[in-house]
Amino acid sequence: MQSKPHIKLTVRFWSYFADVTGCRETAIEAEAGSTLGQLHDLVCKQFPKLAEARNSTLKAVGLDYQDDDFVLSDGDEVSLFPPVQGG
Amino acid sequence: MKTKLTLSPDPIDEAALAKARSISDGMGAVVTFSGVVRGRENEATITSIDYESFDDMAKRQFELIFTEIEQRWPIESIRLVHRTGIVPVNEPSLWVEVVAAHRAEAFDACQHLIDQMKLRVPIWKKPIVT
Repeated sequence: MQSKPHIKLTVRFWSYFADVTGCRETAIEAEAGSTLGQLHDLVCKQFPKLAEARNSTLKAVGLDYQDDDFVLSDGDEVSLFPPVQGG
Repeated sequence: MKTKLTLSPDPIDEAALAKARSISDGMGAVVTFSGVVRGRENEATITSIDYESFDDMAKRQFELIFTEIEQRWPIESIRLVHRTGIVPVNEPSLWVEVVAAHRAEAFDACQHLIDQMKLRVPIWKKPIVT
């Protein structure tokens, strides 16, 4: 049986998310066709402390905010971060 | 609409920014706002705030907000400076200038810009406690 094709993604963590994960970014492989929400689930499994902030987490692909149903592409750079606090 | 956006660890020189102002003859309103670091944050005394910025996305989000403003109000120009890194108490972390023909649109646009920044622009602060 052939395994499903995968895509390679980079996930970047900002603000205190970098502290709780212990890294600024990580490489993750996901099934082709995965959504941003599914990737978020994967990341929360890998870094359980992020799951505590799941509902307030903001998500971007590249430089734009995206919803959970956004379909990811190979090479996408995803950013996860807490609510912003400029000013 | 002219825009100038600066994200920088350098101190904000408000006098120099005011001196560099350039407005056309028809403009009657210049609204400026300075956001200054308070000495208390979450009931703790602090010495400074360390601002972290996702610069490329912050610039992208500011540009989107500027476009919204241009579509909604007749504004001649916006200049915005947000300091990054460590900003001591009593020093400005944010400086905004909006130039328009009349005060109503200048105030409204300035308020909208700051409100949207606080919702969308990826900048975070970490208070430094004494």
